[in-house]
Amino acid sequence: MDQVFAYPAKWWNEAVVVWLVVAVVIYIITAIPGLYFIFKYRFQKGVRELGDQEKHGHWGLEALWTIVPTIIVLVLATYSFAVFQKQRTAPPDSMVMKVTGFMWGWQVEYLDKDGNTVKTVVTAYNPESYEVPEEQKIVVPAGKPIKVLLTSLDVVHAFYVMPARIVEDAVPGRITYLWFQINKPGEYWVFCREFCGTGHSHMFAKLKVVPPDQFALWLKGDDTSKVAENDSLIKGGKDL
Amino acid sequence: MREAVLEKSWYSAGLKEWIFTTDHKKIGIMYFVTGLVFFLVAGLFGLAIRLEQNSPGFQFVSPSFYNYLLTGHGAVMLLWWAIAAHIGGFGNFLLPLMVGAKDVAFPRLNALSYWAFFGASVIVLLTLIPGNQIKMMWTGYPPYAAHPDAGVTAFYVFAIHLLGVSSIATAVNFITTYIRMRAPNVGFWNTNLYVHCLIAANVIQLVGVPSLAGAVTMLFLDRYLGTNFFNPQLGGDPLLYQNVFWFYSHPAVYVMVLPIFGFYSEMVATFARKPIFGYKSMVFAIWGIAIISFIVWIHHMFTSGVPDWVRVLMSYTTVLVAVPTGVKIFNWLGTLHGGAIILRSPMLYTLGGIFMFLIGGLTGIPNAMVAIDLGVHDSLFVVGHFHYVLGMAVTLGIFGALIYWFPKITGRMYPEGMGKASFWLVFIGANIFYFTQMVVGFMGMPRRYPDYPPIAEWVTLNQISTIGAVILGIGVLLWLWGIIKGLTSGEKANANPWQSPSLEWQIDSPAPVDNFGDKPPKVDPDYHPYKYGAPPTF
Repeated sequence: MDQVFAYPAKWWNEAVVVWLVVAVVIYIITAIPGLYFIFKYRFQKGVRELGDQEKHGHWGLEALWTIVPTIIVLVLATYSFAVFQKQRTAPPDSMVMKVTGFMWGWQVEYLDKDGNTVKTVVTAYNPESYEVPEEQKIVVPAGKPIKVLLTSLDVVHAFYVMPARIVEDAVPGRITYLWFQINKPGEYWVFCREFCGTGHSHMFAKLKVVPPDQFALWLKGDDTSKVAENDSLIKGGKDL
Repeated sequence: MREAVLEKSWYSAGLKEWIFTTDHKKIGIMYFVTGLVFFLVAGLFGLAIRLEQNSPGFQFVSPSFYNYLLTGHGAVMLLWWAIAAHIGGFGNFLLPLMVGAKDVAFPRLNALSYWAFFGASVIVLLTLIPGNQIKMMWTGYPPYAAHPDAGVTAFYVFAIHLLGVSSIATAVNFITTYIRMRAPNVGFWNTNLYVHCLIAANVIQLVGVPSLAGAVTMLFLDRYLGTNFFNPQLGGDPLLYQNVFWFYSHPAVYVMVLPIFGFYSEMVATFARKPIFGYKSMVFAIWGIAIISFIVWIHHMFTSGVPDWVRVLMSYTTVLVAVPTGVKIFNWLGTLHGGAIILRSPMLYTLGGIFMFLIGGLTGIPNAMVAIDLGVHDSLFVVGHFHYVLGMAVTLGIFGALIYWFPKITGRMYPEGMGKASFWLVFIGANIFYFTQMVVGFMGMPRRYPDYPPIAEWVTLNQISTIGAVILGIGVLLWLWGIIKGLTSGEKANANPWQSPSLEWQIDSPAPVDNFGDKPPKVDPDYHPYKYGAPPTF
């Protein structure tokens, strides 16, 4: 397993650092002269009573602070375009999951290569706590890219995979997508990030990232106790 | 305009005169007072939201009531405070005075604007009754807004309709006033920058508001009459609403902030005793912002499932907004250079507002860079960002502007000590409040959450944020107390306490009912609102 924790979080983090450096530099070269002027050009009786009436513009300077920012922001936008392409291009060997949002939970279907549903996990709305029962956790393999096809049964939701730093809306009547890959096994948060009503803040899920061989076992449902539970959940899911 | 002459000045006018007035100054005051009352209520809503988010779990309010608080806070702060209070309030009061006119072009239409706005205000008050609450957020996205969980959508739709009537009438009025009623020798290149900003904002209103009205009308038809503009099960598309909604509602943020830039320009020049630096590039920047504002709306929909190409396209157009706004900031700094700066409280508010806007602008870039937005969209980062620009840059601008024009409006001075004290409280409180929100948003905390999992960093940051909110609240109350103190016991102001050459200061304080008298004011051919001759004595 390589050192990278998650995709597209890696590129997102890099983009944030690039922006932050640019923003801090611009802030400093703007704020420091600003503060300096405020202290230096202070009104003083008998010494400095009136501002310089002749200084009402300088075309060279004005052109400079039009052109330089234009170049900076266009470079940033182009850099963001390059990152965006990576964020939006799922690797061809991605595993496909279909996620359907509803008020207020998620139904996750694991698809095989022909698009048939192999297994389904449904999260139940729990307005009381953020505890997630084992059988409602969305299990995914570590180190493998996963493409999530998103849609919604009722209103607009958004599927935010927090460790991967990626979000996309689940829109009724449309299929949208995102992809992510998490390399480190563990449990991570998924939140709904588009306002969807009373239960919005409790429309969450737990992503359980496990080693691929363990995932294969789970998908086959070797754990018989869980197979039974999942069967009832599939029926529950269909009723929705 | 006979009735304007017959009217009494505002301080001696009775209730009947207030209700039937067509005087732009009285209408302006009514707009501002209405906006201010709603600002305070929405501020309390905001404080309740902040306290609920202070720690995980549901403490004070149910999630359903929380959603009502959010909807009310958003809609009222944006439409009552960030638009009506200063465009209707200061715009009405100042525009005719700054261009040397007797009143706006259509005084009766102006009264209609106010009363339509008042009607919308009544509708908003009706939602305070339990059972009438609206919970679809100020954005009102379908299909949720057509869902019973969202509350009484009709209140929202009708409030927007009345506000739309009000805004369009005001826009027609102001634009006509500016084009047709300027005094001789007041031209395009020597009007106050505030007037340029106000007119640009109203042009945006005129073009954009019909789009918003159309969006909410379709919403209304869907919800109550069974049409299917937005219902995918019947062939509609929820994204249609988002497009039509944001086509107005993104430019609307420049409606909110452009006149504030105008305030900054007036106050920076006056308190630096120096002509505004780069007047012409300021004018180009204002109109540049107004035009670009209409081709960037998809950045509100970067994660909504629109095609990738349009996200990239509007990512480029959005970053370009930084250029004219940057020009304005640099020009203000250029105005400070070589000035004789007097740090009176309006100037503190202005400088504070410019610094807030600088942070707000720089934190806008990640929202415009589509790659970063895919990770921060609908997080508290966005909330922190727009509270820097719309929340604080606008509020600091209005607070400063009220202190600055207080003598012209009331004839008395605002107590300077309270102006300074309230500034520091508001400025420090707001920075603690919104900066921590941005940080917790970057960590991933979604917006519009009354409850969240007990992640240690999130809890700590939210608690720091609450401290900032309390300081901010105390600052706002102090500023308000200053108004009352100024009105009752402020020292009497002379006609031109700031020694500004701008036209509104050349008449008595408070401004007389007939403004400049029977004839238009005599304006020198080389008039410029920022030509400061004599050393200041204030």
